[in-house]
Amino acid sequence: MDFAKLLNALPGAASQGVIWGMMAIGVYITYRILDVADLTVDGSMATGGAVAAVLITQGVNPWLAVLCAFLVGMLTGLLTGLFHTAMGIPAILAGILTQLALYSVNLRIMDGKANMAVNVNKYWVLVSSRNVRVLSLQNPICLTLLLTVILIALLYLFFGTEYGNALRATGANQNMARAQGINTSRAKVVGLMLSNGIVAFSGAMLTQYQGFADVQMGRGAIVIGLAAVIIGEVVLGKFFRSLWGKLLCVSVGAIIYYFVMQIVLWLGLNTNDLKMLTALVVAIFLAVPYWKGLAMTRRAGRGKEEKHA
Amino acid sequence: MKRIASLLLALCLCLSCVAVAGAEGKTYQVGVLQLVQHVALDAATQGFQDALKEALGDSVNIEVKNASGEFNNCTTIANDFVAGNVDLIMANATPALQASVGATGDIPILGTSITDYGTALDIADWTGTTGINVSGTADLAPLDGQAEILNELFPDAKTVGLIYCSAEANSLYQVRTIAGYLNELGYETKEYAFADSNDVASVTESACECDVLYIPTDNTAATYTETIANVVIPAGKPVIAGEEGICVGCGVATLTISYYDLGYATGKMAVKVLTEGADISTMPVEYAPQFTKKYNAANCEALNIQVPEDYVAIE
Repeated sequence: MDFAKLLNALPGAASQGVIWGMMAIGVYITYRILDVADLTVDGSMATGGAVAAVLITQGVNPWLAVLCAFLVGMLTGLLTGLFHTAMGIPAILAGILTQLALYSVNLRIMDGKANMAVNVNKYWVLVSSRNVRVLSLQNPICLTLLLTVILIALLYLFFGTEYGNALRATGANQNMARAQGINTSRAKVVGLMLSNGIVAFSGAMLTQYQGFADVQMGRGAIVIGLAAVIIGEVVLGKFFRSLWGKLLCVSVGAIIYYFVMQIVLWLGLNTNDLKMLTALVVAIFLAVPYWKGLAMTRRAGRGKEEKHA
Repeated sequence: MKRIASLLLALCLCLSCVAVAGAEGKTYQVGVLQLVQHVALDAATQGFQDALKEALGDSVNIEVKNASGEFNNCTTIANDFVAGNVDLIMANATPALQASVGATGDIPILGTSITDYGTALDIADWTGTTGINVSGTADLAPLDGQAEILNELFPDAKTVGLIYCSAEANSLYQVRTIAGYLNELGYETKEYAFADSNDVASVTESACECDVLYIPTDNTAATYTETIANVVIPAGKPVIAGEEGICVGCGVATLTISYYDLGYATGKMAVKVLTEGADISTMPVEYAPQFTKKYNAANCEALNIQVPEDYVAIE
């Protein structure tokens, strides 16, 4: 076991984690705040990547490219939102439908090509996995961390506004929210748009980081997103009660997820088993709060019995 | 938080320098990054390993890692190789190559099973060498030759259905190219693209309206040959395949390159890079050394097709 190799791999895992952490923050908005399981993300991640790849290879400023990716991502969220609210399709199905449609849309965006290279030697990109071991501002970790902080700050401010609170109320108790005069359908659409915009943004960053966009790059994104949300909650949840803290937990969760993956690779396990291991890791993190809860109720129950006696 | 991160980063750098110094001059570390498990790619990896082992014996340590079809894993695995400071990376299939190129500009990378390096690396004026730390072997099948064997076996057919996976850029390239050759030979061609395992059967079903079907060297199609066979054989439609693996599963005949040989050729290039210090940026990309006309005896019998004598039966 070459421990130095693992340490050397960690910066790469960290920056991949930070980029996926932004995506997971998007997932957090739908899954935790809105209480909607949104499967659009598998498609909107690739949409963001596709938009960024096309624009950057056309020589567009990468900052503008990621902004466009964000906006197009919001449109994908709008589609899911309309499927759900205007057409009455259950949220999970609405997301799956959009995800399906996006496969074709993404192919169209990339002009029928399934895969598009974004050559770091040729184009100006914001982040590249090539610089991940460089000690300078070029290092992708710096910029992605900074963007994560800005993202969290903006979301914190937004969810503090009246409308942001309406969104949270919609997720917390829909009937109550409606009774307060909140248009819950619209709130859900806005939430889905925001979430998918962030996911597409992260897809755009990922495309630059890994050097290519591919119609299949979002495959399994929701699993990684949910894993990050849950790992973050399990590991750090009790230290943070405020919204910004919780969003930070999500980002850290994604980093932990990639650390675990990197360790699994480092251990030299057969990569054919990688997906099974991923599933196991997520399952364990999902089970921990449940087991904790069980232990808690059992203890509480025992306490009651003693009182009765 | 940031200070801890930068400290950690610095620590990593120091330790990696130590690690490199320690490993110098003993065995070569080679990382193989393969996109997905299937016959052709597996054969290429095998050929690569055999060539390296033959030339270098125990003085090479090959680590094979498979991304199991998940593109994101390619980046993670490439990062793992770069972190381990391997002497050479062999990237099997296009996304594996792109992820490796994204991860390092210094470590030599050899690709294999790449159809077109110009497209994969976004090099506009492709001349045969990359000019960067990349070379390798291309699996571009002889498409004009494949159009010819289709013509040889089915001279009376009118329409040819071209089946491929819309998620694969290399397949689209091949389909468009061979359509040109087939049109010249007087066939009418039609594209049938499927997205994934779920619509392979139904897309193939609709393609059966054509007289003959053609499938290029498509990684996804190669994975689902059984599904395709279950549709085309009962429908009585012959499939000309882009490579042997697909032909074994659902085809009748192919003009194929051997992925094993291709991997083997890549292995020889690796030996040159590792031991002779060859400059990878000026090494021209190599193509398959020879093509063989092959046929699938069982499927030909089932569809009542006679093949000329110069075709070799696939074992």
